[in-house]
Amino acid sequence: MTAIALPSLRARLGRLGGSVRGASSGLTAIGVKELRGRMRGRRAFIILTVYLILIGGFAWMSEILQEKLYAGAFANQATFASAAIGRAVFGAILLLETLLVVVLTPGFTAGAISLEREKQTLDMLATTPISSLAIVIGKLLSALVYVFILVLASVPLSALVFVFGGVAWDDVLRGYIVLLATAVGIGSVALFFSALARRTQAATILSYFAVLAATLGSLFIFSFWSTVASTTTFAPDGSTRISGGPPEAIMYLNPYIAQADVLCGAGDGVDALDRNTTFCGRVGSITGANPFGITTPLPMPGVKVDPGFGGVINLGGGDGVNVDGAPGCPANARCAAIAFDDVAVTEGQIFGVQRDTFWPKSVAAWLVISVIFTLLSVQLVTPTRRWRPRLPGFLRRRSSRSPA
Amino acid sequence: MSAIVSVEGLVKRYNGTLAVAGVELAVEPGEIFGLVGPNGAGKTTMLRMMATLLEPSAGDAVIAGESVRRNPAAVRRVLGFMPDVFGVYDDMKVWEYLDFFARCYGLPAARRRRIIADLLELVDLGPKRDDYVQALSRGMQQRLCLAHALVHDPQVLLLDEPASGLDPRARIELRELLRELRRLGKTILISSHILPELEEICTSVAIMDRGKVLAAGRISDIEQRLRVGAVLRVRVLADEAGLDEATEAFRAEPDVASAEILEDGTIELGFRGDDAAAAQLLARAIARGSTVASFARAASDLEELFLQVTGAEPESVGDAA
Repeated sequence: MTAIALPSLRARLGRLGGSVRGASSGLTAIGVKELRGRMRGRRAFIILTVYLILIGGFAWMSEILQEKLYAGAFANQATFASAAIGRAVFGAILLLETLLVVVLTPGFTAGAISLEREKQTLDMLATTPISSLAIVIGKLLSALVYVFILVLASVPLSALVFVFGGVAWDDVLRGYIVLLATAVGIGSVALFFSALARRTQAATILSYFAVLAATLGSLFIFSFWSTVASTTTFAPDGSTRISGGPPEAIMYLNPYIAQADVLCGAGDGVDALDRNTTFCGRVGSITGANPFGITTPLPMPGVKVDPGFGGVINLGGGDGVNVDGAPGCPANARCAAIAFDDVAVTEGQIFGVQRDTFWPKSVAAWLVISVIFTLLSVQLVTPTRRWRPRLPGFLRRRSSRSPA
Repeated sequence: MSAIVSVEGLVKRYNGTLAVAGVELAVEPGEIFGLVGPNGAGKTTMLRMMATLLEPSAGDAVIAGESVRRNPAAVRRVLGFMPDVFGVYDDMKVWEYLDFFARCYGLPAARRRRIIADLLELVDLGPKRDDYVQALSRGMQQRLCLAHALVHDPQVLLLDEPASGLDPRARIELRELLRELRRLGKTILISSHILPELEEICTSVAIMDRGKVLAAGRISDIEQRLRVGAVLRVRVLADEAGLDEATEAFRAEPDVASAEILEDGTIELGFRGDDAAAAQLLARAIARGSTVASFARAASDLEELFLQVTGAEPESVGDAA
């Protein structure tokens, strides 16, 4: 039996190898072609230079602004001020780059397929053995490579914030992961519109509309929903509880919220209190991050609290008031029920923030989106057999043709 | 000889209308096969189905032993396709354009270099190697597009309206190129509504109209089959009265449908018979004492043939001239 199964397995592996080689040569073909056109001459070099000058200027200005802001506040705590400045500059760079990714990516990808259609080159491509998947992935990657080059070129600039402190290398890494995932996601959505629409103009408009929906639209819907649906109750001990708000999933595709989550977690959130209570407090109300960590006596205004039970915390004090009637509260202990939104809680984290509650979900959401839209684009690019699932070649039986 | 391209009952339906209605074709190796028909006859649809760009609603086409339906990937390897509106990429040099398509076929670098040089030589674009594609003239772009379809050395070439939009000089160059390709052993299918273009280069034609093949085969064979309605031109040396008399005599012949005297004094006969009947007609005319200076079948070209087959008015054939 193995004697029969082995050759067929080997044949299948051979075919798999063949299709992988085919796909990689197709990817190279598309990649070389696209990048040759895009990187030709001095254009790319000039764009990169101008871009870095702009980002550098922006970082410098925000640094000056922050310095003025903190000039009096931390008169005796230069280290603390420096950390705050570092974080602010990091935030400025991160948000500017997010803007860049959000604006540039659709511009590079929305024409990828529709331009080929308009120039009638897609037919010529489709009659070569190159697979539709190689066309779509090749187009997506070569468009993204340019965005990635712009993003990665600014890494040394972002690293300047280490001079100020307040930001660790893993914060920078988090920020860039969000940037890249967002670029891949937006790129594949724009590419899908490019494959769907006949004209580049329509594809571009649809892509920017989708980007607007993910950024401004999600924010609007979120605030509308939370205003209409959520109820705020005041506990006897003076704490505020908000329940019935919108699901945070609305915000998964909002790169700004994801970056704000990264930013508010930077340097373990050891930051000026005013920032935590205002900006990061609001971000926390969306991302579920508690700016004061879980050891905080009471949920802060805006912190998501589920009426259901998430955990019981012995708040100490021992005045016997069981806030919310949390079950499992020892007698003579002051307890509060806090929902943790299925976030792993670091026990005993004092005066820190819950980290990584939101941005990994955002990254995951963008990656899922990009896989779905890439597969849809492949279907749209394939001239025949649209919307019909087919097994990859190495799994299919070779069609036995009867001798004609 | 077995056919290298065989089309078996190919059908394409678009929302209820039949673009191609059950076409059967057989093209033998080494032929230059012309697909003639007015715009909308289904030529492009047929070629696109054969090029694996459209899925047939029914039927199949087998190209070099590979089925378009069952194994489109294999068909793509033996086939070169040039679409009717050929595309060029901006920001690309001539050699890069060919290099790109050669890479799409997975050719290794050394072979790519060699084949690009050979192809540029073949289509006479050697000196334009480093020019930008969009800067070439239309005829040159056209030849470059033909070269792109040859990078993988296909056995069969499908060319959709290759001559459209070309000036006469570029057309002649294209014709020479196609003949050269035939010498290299390629089988070529060409669609066109420009009939004289095909007549000069095609070994066989299929005349299409409204999704159907009305007649197919060697041009001379089709002519033979369509003898009915052929035109004979007879020049008789006689004065006016003699001409009238000769015309009357022709009119009385059984196979002659009509007889008219043209401006230049030639008698034009609408003739229903075959070659043997024509010979007898001539013999009888001479026996009658007519001084026949010339007796010939009016050069029956593809265009005439086409009009006879489709029954179309000349105006509806488009820019057939």
